[in-house]
Amino acid sequence: MVATDFTSPLMRTTTGGNHHGFTSKFSIRSPSVPNLRQQLYSETNNYSAPAIEGIPNNKDAINDQRSNSEEYGGSLSVIDLYDDNDSESPQKKSTRSITGLEDFQKDVGELNSMSADHSNDDLRRSNSITIDINENEHTDRYGFKKQSTFISEADYNSWWNDYSKYCVRRKFKWKLLLEKGGLPVDNDSPTRFPSKSEKLKRYVRKGIPAEWRGDAWWYFARGQEKLNRHKGVYDTLLVKVNKITEQKDHDNVFTDLEIIERDLNRTFPDNIHFQKQSPQDEEPELIKSLRRVLVAFSLYNPKIGYCQSMNFIAGLLLLFLDEERAFWMLVIITSRYLPGVHDVNLEGVNIDQGVLMLCVKEYLPEIWSYIAPITNKKGASNNRRTTSSTSRKNRSLIIKNEFLYRLPPITLCTASWFMSCFIGILPIETTLRVWDCMFYEESHFLFKISLSILKLSENDLLRHKKHRHGGGILSYGIKGGNSSNTSLGSSNDAASEDGDMEIFQIIQTFPKKLLNPNDIFDKVIFKRKYSFNRLDQDEVDRCRKYVSSQRTKYKHYIDTVEKQEIRGIDKSTNHIGEKENILTSEMDEDTINEALSSEVYGFKRNLTGVHWNNSLKAKVRQMKKKIDREV
Amino acid sequence: MLQFKLVLLGDSSVGKSSIVHRFVKDSFDELRESTIGAAFLSQTIKIKAEEQEEDVVIKFEIWDTAGQERYKSLAPMYYRNANAALVVYDLTQKDSLVKARSWVEELKNKVGDEDLVIFLVGNKLDLCEGEEDLRAVDTSEAKAYAEEQNLLFTEVSAKTGQGVKEVFRSIGEKLYASKKDEILAKKNRELGNRVNNSVDINAQRPSTNDTTTCCS
Repeated sequence: MVATDFTSPLMRTTTGGNHHGFTSKFSIRSPSVPNLRQQLYSETNNYSAPAIEGIPNNKDAINDQRSNSEEYGGSLSVIDLYDDNDSESPQKKSTRSITGLEDFQKDVGELNSMSADHSNDDLRRSNSITIDINENEHTDRYGFKKQSTFISEADYNSWWNDYSKYCVRRKFKWKLLLEKGGLPVDNDSPTRFPSKSEKLKRYVRKGIPAEWRGDAWWYFARGQEKLNRHKGVYDTLLVKVNKITEQKDHDNVFTDLEIIERDLNRTFPDNIHFQKQSPQDEEPELIKSLRRVLVAFSLYNPKIGYCQSMNFIAGLLLLFLDEERAFWMLVIITSRYLPGVHDVNLEGVNIDQGVLMLCVKEYLPEIWSYIAPITNKKGASNNRRTTSSTSRKNRSLIIKNEFLYRLPPITLCTASWFMSCFIGILPIETTLRVWDCMFYEESHFLFKISLSILKLSENDLLRHKKHRHGGGILSYGIKGGNSSNTSLGSSNDAASEDGDMEIFQIIQTFPKKLLNPNDIFDKVIFKRKYSFNRLDQDEVDRCRKYVSSQRTKYKHYIDTVEKQEIRGIDKSTNHIGEKENILTSEMDEDTINEALSSEVYGFKRNLTGVHWNNSLKAKVRQMKKKIDREV
Repeated sequence: MLQFKLVLLGDSSVGKSSIVHRFVKDSFDELRESTIGAAFLSQTIKIKAEEQEEDVVIKFEIWDTAGQERYKSLAPMYYRNANAALVVYDLTQKDSLVKARSWVEELKNKVGDEDLVIFLVGNKLDLCEGEEDLRAVDTSEAKAYAEEQNLLFTEVSAKTGQGVKEVFRSIGEKLYASKKDEILAKKNRELGNRVNNSVDINAQRPSTNDTTTCCS
């Protein structure tokens, strides 16, 4: 095992190294793959006030725990394989025939005993410590429970047997790449990575080595820039945090704090790092860190404050980064990658769902055809406000794009994909691969992955298509209208919601079964034939702006209509309501025109031809060769 | 089979998800992950109906929502077209009843359906029965409010399961009672239409108008 000098390379680069003891204050290391060995929390830990105290020096204890569990093949961590400095070995290993889990465990043991000196020390020391091995057997390398509602532990283990080898191979390639670029891989924790290129993008898409993830995310998200611009800010925030949290009586001044408190123990309750070992124990260090990060954030950005789902994002960050860097990454995620998503009005969620729906309509028309709201023509033509041909035309456009305002029911499920950035939606290893790409490729990747999931679930969805238009089940999805109806020809007739139930079920459970990240990457993301793979950041930015402005216009329009309705109702008691309505609808023309002024969103398609031609050319060439050979 | 849409509303960590899990999976976890956005579940129950020989099968389409205040802006997406709402509060948290009241008000204002069944549910009854009584909301207080607002009311424990099944059963019965005539009429029509093997879903719907504005 590597890893002993833990204030060094990583921390130096992180905090700039030499200013006012920053380094020691925030070296709360996370218990993730890379950090376990640089560990600092354990039962003897008395770290409590972050702004005052330093790092407890008890990494040995943790090292012991780790190696102990490894010795017994507890959690099969691939790091142990990496720690072997013989660069040949990963390949050797992958070519060796490994028949089962037991063999794999044996290999882990072998490699352990071959590895560097201090690792052997660890192994020796480990004999003196007893930990619950059985418990570790059930958790993955990050401390999450392997088993879920949709994945059995046996399934997990058999998949992991292959995937861990894949990880070893990928790490080997990463090492070569970095060495070739003259970048140091010291202590198995590189902090600098090559500059962006198609090749690096492929590497990232195939997965960043787990032990490097924290640093790589930090690097690609340009976290250090952010931190440098705000040196000492987290420090200051923590002083405030301490004051607030120590005040027992908050007088409801700070309601976010209460909600944060309620969520702390509801963040990854299945992860050992977030659990108390026994009820009498003090709360785990990670929970304390999580509290500080979330409270500090709510002070730092009152526009967002605290939004449920941020607990998971911050929690996952804390597994890979130290507290201060996790804080800044949370700032970056909530502003750059998920703008407005966690705001008090959650408008960003609706905008992103609108964007996603536009993308589904454009790129997955098959799926769109049965998740789209069923336009109710009767409702539209019945609308008494269609007085002139122009306004009829206007209305049809509004109805056409209405789904951006009145989002299709499927977004009831997909909204949380974005809010929690796929945590809890996809299994953890798959989520991490998505995060790798998000930090490298920016937020459009979240839409790509969403479209990929939908694409993969297409067969399941299609199977239920027949239900959609009424399959003999009596549903009472719709209710009688009342007079204050403001619908623009109710696009979401309840008839459509009969089959929606099946759709919800599929959309909600399907991603949770995607245990193997490569199922998404190899089958969809790396396939050129899927046109949505051409989606880029510019497009998504443009799309977000479009949806945002459309939503504002609709809201304005509907508010106006509502006001008219109220007036209409008032008058209708005097039997002149109809007339009044027609009159006001003329006045309304301006609003409608305004809505009309924005065209239906157009996706860039210029690249389509090129890609298509290329693949066609390649195919023609292949066919020619084949013919030549046959001749 | 009858299908009804049911939504759970209430303050954060009052036990909405725990109630649903007790009902759907008959299990309980002391620590349950906070719900993000909303979760969708379904469960089927059978109820006895007076006029019918066979039991009536009811399938609940359940939307379990996130409790934080700001999620309120998404809530209309979840409760629109709902047939029933479970408004949950925590018996040990006085504040949570205040939140529950505001949910009841919102439902009454925004869902223009007189048949909507609202069930006020006080959760964590198990904590109110020990030696250390943690109760912060009196049964009489909540009951009086429920009567005044014409809501169904009970106290349950998702942890022990006490009262949970009964909540869903009485919702099922109440919905069945209010839809009974429609259902029977429809059944007859269905028999007549059997040749086409199709059901005119729209026919029994009072109106195509949608009563709630969706996301705002």
